[in-house]
Amino acid sequence: MAQIVLDHLTKRFGETPAVIDLSLELASGELVALLGPSGCGKTTTLRMVAGFETPTAGRVLLADRDLTDAPPERRNCGMVFQNYALFPHLTVEQNVAFGLEMRAVERAEIRRRVADILGKVGLAGLGGRYPRQLSGGQQQRTALARALVVNPSVLLLDEPLANLDAKLREEMRFYIRSLQREFHITTLYVTHDQAEALVLADRVAILMGGVLQQYGRPEDVYHRPRSAAVAGFIGLTNLIPGRVRTRAAGRVVVDTVLGLVTAAGDPALREGAEVLLSVRPEQLDLVRPGAAPQDGANVLRGTVRERTFLGSLADFRVDVDGGVVLRVQGRPSAMERAGDAVAVAFDAEAAWALPGATS
Amino acid sequence: MGAPGRDVLGVELVQAGAPRERRLPRHAGRHVLIVPALAVLVVFFVLPYLNLTLISLMTPSHRAPYVRVLTLGNYTTLLRDPFTWQVIWHTLWIGVVTTAVCLVISYPLAYHLARAPRRLRGLFMILVISPLLVGVLIRTYGWMILLQDTGLINQTLRALHLPAAPLMYNNTGVLIGLVHVFVPFMVLSIAGTIQTIDPELEFAARSLGAGAWRTFRRVVLPLSLPGVLAGTVLVFVLTISSYVIPSLLGGFTVLTVPLLVVRTVTELFNWPGGSAFAILFFVITLVVVGLYVRAMGRGAGQLPDQGDDR
Repeated sequence: MAQIVLDHLTKRFGETPAVIDLSLELASGELVALLGPSGCGKTTTLRMVAGFETPTAGRVLLADRDLTDAPPERRNCGMVFQNYALFPHLTVEQNVAFGLEMRAVERAEIRRRVADILGKVGLAGLGGRYPRQLSGGQQQRTALARALVVNPSVLLLDEPLANLDAKLREEMRFYIRSLQREFHITTLYVTHDQAEALVLADRVAILMGGVLQQYGRPEDVYHRPRSAAVAGFIGLTNLIPGRVRTRAAGRVVVDTVLGLVTAAGDPALREGAEVLLSVRPEQLDLVRPGAAPQDGANVLRGTVRERTFLGSLADFRVDVDGGVVLRVQGRPSAMERAGDAVAVAFDAEAAWALPGATS
Repeated sequence: MGAPGRDVLGVELVQAGAPRERRLPRHAGRHVLIVPALAVLVVFFVLPYLNLTLISLMTPSHRAPYVRVLTLGNYTTLLRDPFTWQVIWHTLWIGVVTTAVCLVISYPLAYHLARAPRRLRGLFMILVISPLLVGVLIRTYGWMILLQDTGLINQTLRALHLPAAPLMYNNTGVLIGLVHVFVPFMVLSIAGTIQTIDPELEFAARSLGAGAWRTFRRVVLPLSLPGVLAGTVLVFVLTISSYVIPSLLGGFTVLTVPLLVVRTVTELFNWPGGSAFAILFFVITLVVVGLYVRAMGRGAGQLPDQGDDR
């Protein structure tokens, strides 16, 4: 049963379209990341689900009820705002109790549930504080507690980690994930941070220019991007233009400036189609130029132009014969230096052919 | 709580320990900057008041403004006269009613002004302060043209064969004139505070189940109380000390403290008596405003900018 259904949603601000014909379904208990660059319409989408914006066209269904025109207070959405939007004149306890009071829950019951959720988010003992007396992470968890305590039918998160420092942000990802699992609550998570989306989400919806580009598991979105835009937005990738020469058994052989490359590809690609090969830098290996290629692997010859130390990785720019510069990422212990002649090897599985600009 | 939660918590507690003190380092030199304001206050406010207090303790005379003989007689005469209290009550009443009407008119206006798109805000601002762009006399004469018995409003009523409405030389006229000029003060005070309220707070309240009214009652109103406090005190104080509007629109029927003080000094030539009345009313105003601020302060006890970290 789908808990959140967005049915052909469109939102225009005056003449400017923010979201165009967006359809999305979230299964019960699923966490979906709505990912895209700033201004792509992801926050507008979230605000339409919450009821803060009225769609120009289309429907919003929550828990099988059409709530397109319902005011926010009747949607039972738990919302966490980017700046947390905690009530500054209320204590942590009063903030968390707010939604329960609006639902006319009994006083004793409110006290019990507030204490319970504050314990769950690790804020026990801080209930008497005001938001300004809390650290960023504590404010974040107060906001989560306030949204979750009312047992909302869905949880909506708008860039909830954007205002935290890098280390805390990294930890909060896992924390939010475990909390979401514990409550088994259907969650729509808006972010512009692709790493966050990949770590957190069951499925990722990529939105660009108000249009849904791809909706799928993080692995699929990462390894099998449907367009160059998606491939470029999620992580680093090398894009090599070419034309499909032959195809068989889920493999395509692509004629590129670098020679023939065997790759995985969309079954819909036809022979002769213009394609872009997307190869992730970490899936490329630097090997000695003379080494015999493994079965089915592609080998390209080239010269290291630049080597950069990234801590956990070494990043190479390799001039490959044929005039293309490839990014290669590997172990930092790799010995290759700028100027060394190398070969770049990769499996057919590592390369993904996606429809090129003119196909 | 699972292990990851505790992990995060450990980090948290360390962070929470560091209080956030954002204050400039104390600098002896910066106090110099308040000297001009202090000087103006002393020369034009404190000294005249001291002088006034002194005169109020002198003996009245018909040949000179006063005779240099100290007495409390001016105050005892004043306090015993029921007319004094009648005028004081009436002045405070006009102050309260004007403030209340201004508040009711101004709050929605201030809210919309604060929440208006930026490019419209300037235009709205000019519209709101427009009553202040015309001098008090011209503005008041303008009201007289509209309100008097042969004025525009009553002529229209007469033409429609409706009973005439007495709108001038009574409390109604005075209140109309006062409200008109003091609404901008109220609007600007309240709008300034509402602008500092994050609109997301209202969305947060709505998503938590509060309808528009309860969102206002529980979130916007409490957070805007500092502006309401500033606006009401400002308007109240300006109202009870206003002179031109009550004298022109009230005629001889509406008597307020400022009018009576001026009359005592200029017509009865009783400088010490007028001074004593002015000082008495100053003290009463101070007490009334003080009590009000305390009561409001209790209501708005938990304001974001008040109170230090515990």
